Formats: sequence, structure tokens, C-alpha cells
Amino acid sequence: MDKLAKQLRADAQQIECEVSTQLDSRIRASLEGVQPDAAPRPQRESKSFSFWWASSLTGIAAAIAVIALVNLQGPAPGQGVTEPVPQAFVVPAIKWHAETAVLTTPLEQEIENLQADLKKAEDAVKQDIDRLF
Amino acid sequence: MIEAARKGSAAAFTDLVGGYREGLLRFLLTRSASFADAEDALQDTLINAYRYLHSYDSRWRFSTWLYRIAINNAARLKTVDTVELGDLSDERDDPLRHCIEASDRENLWSAARRLLSDEVYTAMWLRYVEDMSVNDISGVLERSVSWTKVNLMRGRKTLDAELNKVATDEKSKAYG
Repeated sequence: MDKLAKQLRADAQQIECEVSTQLDSRIRASLEGVQPDAAPRPQRESKSFSFWWASSLTGIAAAIAVIALVNLQGPAPGQGVTEPVPQAFVVPAIKWHAETAVLTTPLEQEIENLQADLKKAEDAVKQDIDRLF
Repeated sequence: MIEAARKGSAAAFTDLVGGYREGLLRFLLTRSASFADAEDALQDTLINAYRYLHSYDSRWRFSTWLYRIAINNAARLKTVDTVELGDLSDERDDPLRHCIEASDRENLWSAARRLLSDEVYTAMWLRYVEDMSVNDISGVLERSVSWTKVNLMRGRKTLDAELNKVATDEKSKAYG
């Protein structure tokens, strides 16, 4: 046991408290007046397999009926015709002059160093936690 | 004893929890605004435990289950009284200070209450006073095992720093 654990245990022992006779009799009296609840009833058995099967079939039949109805009706008049977009609304193409940013070597090195430091710190914390608990 | 208590024997239940009452009261005292509140919380905890004993799962330690109920009761009391741990501005009202033997230095649990959050404080108490495993603590706090480990670690670091600070102060005083 390490120093901190010993100190925490010792300091907890310094907290003086005991259950007084008054509290003891109060608790006993309260317990006498209480009845433990009965264990909860077991849950009802789930519906039978045939019920599940019947409801699935009904659902599938309903879905097929809806799909058939929608397809038999055909497209609404006027639908499917795309009006030409007036030339005035066409957005002109913009020529972008973009260049790829190139990191200089020292910056790349710096990032690698930082990542290595982070990894080391993470490993140290993990090791500390595993060692203690 | 558990079976007898489940069947309605208050005497069997009293025997069953006899060994836990002082530990529970000490724990509740560190989370309550007054000694009377801690006593009320203990009473409520034991009554609730007796009433809902059927829900106790024997795969868990009995103390783990009991502390879970105690924490819920303490939280409920705190909501009613709207007193925050660590916000007890008037130290004369702090029940913990009344119950701690006079000492040259601050009791670490007083410091812990000042420096740590409720949950971390509870985790530290369950670990170092009640000797609970990390798994049991995570069960009591309803947190993941990794959360419990990380926060126990943080709590340790904070209290370690406090302990070292006290030691340094004492050395400085000794050397004038």
C-alpha cells in the first residue's frame, strides 16, 4: 500500500462517528413497520411464433398492394418534362487559381515531434493507470 | 440471512446490515450538510434496502448494492437541501469537521471534499476506505471501468499534490 492510500485510510479512521442508541432504536422501529416487497411477477410470455408470422405476412401483403397501386396509376400529366433553363440563369464558370500548400521540412518535422510526444505521454498515462489498478 | 430477511424478518436484516452501518454513516456524513441529514440518509438507505431486498442480485457484493442505495439517498437529500459539497461556506456547520479529531494538518478527506467532484470523491472513498475493486466502484457509480480508472487516477494525483504541499509547508515551518 502506498503512502497516499495509507494516509487516506488513516484519515478516514479519524472521522469519529458511531450509530447512537437513539438512531439504532429509530432504525429498528422503522424496519418493524416495513414489509419487504414481494419479488416482481415474471413477465408474460411473448406472443407465439404463429402470431409473429401472421403479422409479418399481413405487412408484406399491404406493402405489395401499395406498390402495385402506385405503379398502375402511371405518371401525372406534365410530369417528366423538363423545361429548359434560360441561358441568363446559367452561372458563369470561374477560373480558380489555387496552389497546393507545401509544408516546409522543419514544420513537418515539428508535427512529427509533437505527435511522438503525444504518443509518449499517452503511453505513460496508460502505464500509470495499469500499474495502479 | 438474506433469505430470512427477504421473507420479512427485520431481525435477520438488522443482523445482516449490522457490520455496514458505521461505514455507511461515515460515508454519508462526508456527503451531507449536517449530522442529522446523514442519520436520516442512513435510515432511508436501510429501509429502502429492506424493502427492495428482492431486487438484490447475489452476483454483486452486498456492500456494493448497499452503497448504490446510499448514494441515491444522499443525492436526494442534497437536492432537497440544495447544499453543494465543497460549498459549505460556514465551516462551523460542516459536520465532517465536527467529527474529525483535532490535528495539526487538514484531514485528507476534508481536502478531498474541497478539491474533488462528488463522483471522484465517492470513487476514492470506495476504493481506499471500503477496499472496493474498480469493477465494483464502476457498478456503484454506474460508470464504465475505464472512466473509473481514469478518475481514480486524477483523484490520486490531486490528493498526492495536496499531501506533498502539506509536507513541504511543514518542512518550511520546521526550518523557520
